[in-house]
Amino acid sequence: MTKRLNVSKLTTRSLLYLLLIVSSFVMAFPLIFMILGSIGTTQDYIRSPWLPIPQNPTIENYLIILDPSKTDVLQWVFNTLIRAAWYIIIPGTVAILAGYVFAKLSFRGRDAAFTFLLMSMMLPGIVFQVPTFVMMARFPLAGGNDLLGQGGTGFINQWPALLIPGLVSVYYIFMLRQTFYSIPADFEEAARVDGAGTMRCLVSVYLPMLKPVITVLIIFQFVGIWNDYLWPLFVTTGNPEVYVMALGFQFLQAAGNSLKGLPNTVTDYPFTFALAACSILPLVIMFLFLQKYFVEGVQGFAIKG
Amino acid sequence: MNDAGILGNNAVRAPVFVSRRERFRRWRYRNRHALEGWGILTPILLYYGIFFLFPVFASLALSFTTWSGLSGSPVWVGFKNYQRFLSDPTYRTIITNTILFAVSILLIQTGLAIFVALLLNTKIRGRAIYRAAWYIPTLTSAAVMAQVAFVFISPADGVINMVLRQLSLPPIIFYVQVDWMRVVIIAYSVWRGVGGAVVLYLAALQGIHPELYEAAQVDGANGRQLLRHITFPLIAPMTIFVLITGIIGTAQIFEAVMFLSKGGPANLTNVLMLQIYQDAFANQSLGMASAGAIFLGLMLLVFAMFQMRIFSRGRVMN
Repeated sequence: MTKRLNVSKLTTRSLLYLLLIVSSFVMAFPLIFMILGSIGTTQDYIRSPWLPIPQNPTIENYLIILDPSKTDVLQWVFNTLIRAAWYIIIPGTVAILAGYVFAKLSFRGRDAAFTFLLMSMMLPGIVFQVPTFVMMARFPLAGGNDLLGQGGTGFINQWPALLIPGLVSVYYIFMLRQTFYSIPADFEEAARVDGAGTMRCLVSVYLPMLKPVITVLIIFQFVGIWNDYLWPLFVTTGNPEVYVMALGFQFLQAAGNSLKGLPNTVTDYPFTFALAACSILPLVIMFLFLQKYFVEGVQGFAIKG
Repeated sequence: MNDAGILGNNAVRAPVFVSRRERFRRWRYRNRHALEGWGILTPILLYYGIFFLFPVFASLALSFTTWSGLSGSPVWVGFKNYQRFLSDPTYRTIITNTILFAVSILLIQTGLAIFVALLLNTKIRGRAIYRAAWYIPTLTSAAVMAQVAFVFISPADGVINMVLRQLSLPPIIFYVQVDWMRVVIIAYSVWRGVGGAVVLYLAALQGIHPELYEAAQVDGANGRQLLRHITFPLIAPMTIFVLITGIIGTAQIFEAVMFLSKGGPANLTNVLMLQIYQDAFANQSLGMASAGAIFLGLMLLVFAMFQMRIFSRGRVMN
C-alpha cells in the first residue's frame, strides 16, 4: 500500500518536472535559437532549421555590429543609456519628492492634487502622444520655428523630443507614497530635533531607507526606456544620429548584407540574430543578477501595497 | 490649582511686542506643510498640466477636426471622425480585431499563468531557473523580438516553413492564411506577456497560509477540492488585478502586428494602435488619429477606473 503510493507520487513528480522543463524550454527557445543563430551561418540554419547548431561558431557578426566604423550601434546604445539615465534621475527625484509630500505632509488641497495627478492613469499613452508630437514639432523658436512655432520642424529628430515628455510618472509617485507611509514618523522627528530641515531629512533619513524601492524604480525605468520604441519612432525616425537601440534595429537589419558583401536577395539571418542579441542580452544579464528586485518590483503593488 | 494657574497667567501677562519678522517666522512655521508641499508640487503640477492635461484636451479637440498636422489649421468636422469608426468597414474590422486580440491574448496568458504558477508553487528544485525562463521574455523589446519572430514566419526561408518542408507538409503562407497569422500574433504576444502574471500569481499562491490546506485535508478534501474551494477563491483578487491591468496592456497591441503582419492581409489583422500610427504619420490625418486614441481611451475607461481604485486602495490582497 505504502509502496504503491510512493510509486504514484514518484510518477506525479517526474511528470511535474517534465512539464516544467519542457515548458521552460519552449519559453526560452526563441532566445536560444537567436543566440545559436547569431554565431552560425545561414548554411547551419538551412541544414537544421529546428535549432541552428553552428558547425564553426564565429563572432564575426558581433564584431561587425560593435565596430563603430561599420555601424552606429554603439552610438545608439550610448543614446539609449543617456536617455535611461535622464528618465531615471528626473522622474525618480520627482517621485521621491512628491511621494514625501503626499505621505508625510498634511495641508489643504493635497488630496485634490493627488487625484488630479491620478487622472493620467486613466488614459492610454497614445491619447497624449499624438498631440505631444505636434507640440514638439511646433515648439516655438526650435528647429527653425518662429515664435508661433511655424516654419520649421521644431524638436522633431532632435534630442529634446526624446527627453521632454513623460518626466512625471504617477505610477512611481504612487509607489514612493506607499513606501513613505510605511516609515514611522519617529525617524524624521528625531532628525528635526537635531535641527535638520526637510531636504536634509529626505537625503539623510529617508533615502537610505528607500533603497529597495529606488532600486526597483531604477530597474523598471531602465527596462522601460531600453525597450521604448513607440515614442522614438514618432519623433526621431528621420535622424539616425539620435536613434535608440530599439529603433535603430530595424534600419540596420537591411544594412547587414552590404556590410558583409552579400547580395540583397538573401536575408542574412545570423546578422539579424546577432543584432537582436545585442539589444536583448544586456537586460537578460541584468535580470540574472538582480532577479530579486525584479520579482519584488512586479509584486510590489499587488501584494505589499 | 486651577485658580492659581489663571492668577499666575494673569500676573505675568504683559504687552508683548512681536516683530513683523517674528510673526512671519511663526506663520511660516504654522504653515510649514502647506508651504513645502506646494513648493514641491507646483512645478510638478505645472509640468503635468502642460505635458499631460493640455495634450489630452488637444487630443479631444483634434478628434472633432480634420488636420494634416503639417500646415494650415484644423477644420471642425463634428462627429464625422467618430462616425467613420462605426460605419467604415475598415475601422469596424480594426476595432473587432483589437478586441479579439486583446481578449484572446489576455485569457490565454492568464490561464497559462495560473497553471504555471501552480506548478512552480509545488516543492521543486530550481524554482528560480524556471521562473527566469518564464519571466525573461517580458524583458525583451517588443519591436526587436517581433522582428526576430518574423524570421520564423518568413514565406520562403522562414523557420516554420523549412521545418514543414522537412516533414513533407505543405508550407503556410502567413500573408494569405490569415488565421495562421492571427495564431502567430497571439502566440508571440502571449510569449512576451505571460511572465509578469506568472510572477504575480506565484506571489499570491505563496501568500496563502498552508494551515488552510492542512485543515481541509484533515477534513478529507482531495486535490481538486482544495483548488476549487481554497486556491481559486483566495487568488480571485489577483485574477481581477491581472485581468484589469492586463486588458489595458493587451488592447494596446502594436509592435507584434506592425512587424509580423503590418495589419494585413486587407486589414484583417490590423489593430487600433497601428491604425492610429498610420493615420497620424502615413495618412497625415491627425483628426482620425486623435479620434482613434480617444476611442481607445473610452474603450478602456471602465477598466482604468477599476485599476485606479485598486491602486488607491494600495494593495490587491492580504
